[in-house]
Amino acid sequence: MRIELAAAALAVLSAVPIPGRAEPAPSAPAAASAAGGSPPGAPAQGDAERKKLEEEIARELGTASPSLAARPPAPAPAAPVATSAPLGAGGSPYARVLLLPDISAIGSAGAAYDSYDVGAYSPRESPYSPKDRPDFFLEEVELGLQAVVDPYARADFFLSFGPDGAKVEEGYLTTLSLPDGLQIKAGQIFSPFGRQNQQHPHIWDFVDAPLARNRLLASDQLAGPGVDVAWLMPLPWFAELHLAGQDTAPFTGDTNELTGLARLVQFFTLGDATSLGVGLSAARRHEGPNGAARDLGGADVYLRIRPLNTRSYLAVQGEVYLRKLRGVEGEDPSTEHAWWTQAFWRQDAYWGYGVRYEQAPSAGSAPPGTEQRLGGVATWFPSEFQRLRLQLSWDRLPGGKGGLEALLHLEFGIGAHGAHPF
Amino acid sequence: MRRTTRTVGSRRPGARRYGARGAALLALAVALALPARAAAFKVVTTTEGLAALAGEVGKGRAEVESLSRGVQDPHFVDANPMLAVKLRNADLLVDVGLELEIGWLPPLVNQSRNPDIQPGGAHRLTAASAITVLDVPTGPVDRSLGDLHPAGNPHFLTDPRRALQVARAMAERLAALDPGGAATYRANLADLEKRLGADIKRWEAQLAPARGKKVFTQHRTMTYFFDWSGIVSAGEIEPRPGVPSPPSHLAELVGIAQREGVKAVLVEDYYDTKSAEVVARHAGAKLVLIPGDVGAEPGLKTYEQYMDSVVGRIAGALR
Repeated sequence: MRIELAAAALAVLSAVPIPGRAEPAPSAPAAASAAGGSPPGAPAQGDAERKKLEEEIARELGTASPSLAARPPAPAPAAPVATSAPLGAGGSPYARVLLLPDISAIGSAGAAYDSYDVGAYSPRESPYSPKDRPDFFLEEVELGLQAVVDPYARADFFLSFGPDGAKVEEGYLTTLSLPDGLQIKAGQIFSPFGRQNQQHPHIWDFVDAPLARNRLLASDQLAGPGVDVAWLMPLPWFAELHLAGQDTAPFTGDTNELTGLARLVQFFTLGDATSLGVGLSAARRHEGPNGAARDLGGADVYLRIRPLNTRSYLAVQGEVYLRKLRGVEGEDPSTEHAWWTQAFWRQDAYWGYGVRYEQAPSAGSAPPGTEQRLGGVATWFPSEFQRLRLQLSWDRLPGGKGGLEALLHLEFGIGAHGAHPF
Repeated sequence: MRRTTRTVGSRRPGARRYGARGAALLALAVALALPARAAAFKVVTTTEGLAALAGEVGKGRAEVESLSRGVQDPHFVDANPMLAVKLRNADLLVDVGLELEIGWLPPLVNQSRNPDIQPGGAHRLTAASAITVLDVPTGPVDRSLGDLHPAGNPHFLTDPRRALQVARAMAERLAALDPGGAATYRANLADLEKRLGADIKRWEAQLAPARGKKVFTQHRTMTYFFDWSGIVSAGEIEPRPGVPSPPSHLAELVGIAQREGVKAVLVEDYYDTKSAEVVARHAGAKLVLIPGDVGAEPGLKTYEQYMDSVVGRIAGALR
């Protein structure tokens, strides 16, 4: 079924007009420069004139108007002057290597201690130990394969190997040359819902996901096969509107159901050192027959203060999630909510500290009500490619019970892993 | 602008009518955005050093903006989406290359939706392609050597001869992409060549007494400066980038300094100077803070002002 959907996504993509389909022709100015450039003083070809010619050629080729079609990037003019590393007449012996995608592997493992029965009273996907019995765990090994596909798109694959086997965390195509600020992601994707849901765990400041996400969004990430269309609005600040359709199965035992999502994310700069990001998300998931639905809402804020000339920064962020189950048999139809907020202070290249507070509906055998958790994390970065974290949190269940959790977590990466978005 | 947001947010009555209005607003927004592209030729650079050179070449014709600031360590710029907005309408993106910006530029270029500034695109100029690259590793490379640049040393603007090569490549590319301004770009380049030619003579005279003298640097960031000036590197405070040196290495440097007469420790002003200070104190050498790029200090607004400062401080310390 997943394959069918991927095929459907590809069909959608291939319906997007890409002029010519053949090798992109060098653009007029590039060709001119290759031929020695126009003599100085010669009347330059006007923009309007060129556009007219472009449209005429497009008509002759039987493609759509170039202003509406995807713009294939023109190749660069001939390589300028001297290049480095002169190579022998036999060509480069590294040719095969040059065509390999960027390959990376990130391992995460650690040890956990919990003073109460988390599995029964606060069930979650993230690592924990049996009551009073410290435990080692392997969380996952994430394998990343990333490269451009062709001049029109790039591909990113993230495969996760863990104690429960292997899975495709994400595997998607991203368009690079759609016009009018549009960009399409298609394949297996983390849903564009909230800020943290789209991040891989190795980007988080804390070891585990907030309870709020585990309880209301999905036991792991809200994800699935589908298409995400993102429009970068023509505004002086960063404003991106996402509309996505996906099949999701948020919790263990759920079947794949069609889910529609919308997200508006905006970033502003407040002076030289401060950036503010705000996001609003909404989703509706089909819940079987009779028009039953799961409605999700979310808001997220990210504030980052980093004086330009230092490596240190303060990042304050938080998210609120809302969930309402409409007409789902045996489920409470009222609106549930959960939230979390955290602050992380990166002191320098080597040390960072964070605090987090969360509220979420209780689960498992805990009495119904609101579960609260307060946590702190201390991180040591021996280098850019390794970090060791100690996270302590105190969990308070409705009724006052609860307990302490300690997580010691090691993360390490090798290879070329693409830089992450902000 | 506000109306666009409201239309998106309110979806209850008459969805179809709102859809049509949304499309109209979309078209309007796009129409508003398009003329902006056709206006001044917009050059975006990754660093202020490149922006200064592009500003000279594009004077009177191109609008130049840098993504990072001179006070920033160019290896660790945040991939803030606001920067992707600057790239959206860029007619030319000039980057340093050699993986200097690997930690932040690629996601911005992807977010920008600008197909022409992708690596290898007609509207992308990687400055490193215009120069002869040094410090290209010849043996095996892995990260036990620290976070180094496997393709070669990207800190080449400390050599004014190479800066001129970059400026020439910029002029060529600008002339090709914006033929109407070709004459302007070429004239600007000729003017810059004349001025920098005279500067280079003056700087070389200033540095002549320092030729052959030995210095330490924080990282291998001054290779091109040494290649030009004839000053010699006797070692680095942190030879494996990102991996703090143990006291044993610093002690070894002090020994080298005393044996070989190292008189100065050069540190770009975006680095922490703690280790360099210790070495300088024990070795009886001078700690010389040098600007990391154009714009690193107030008053260093042009490439010439920046190089004046670099040359002046180093020549002064080695007198």
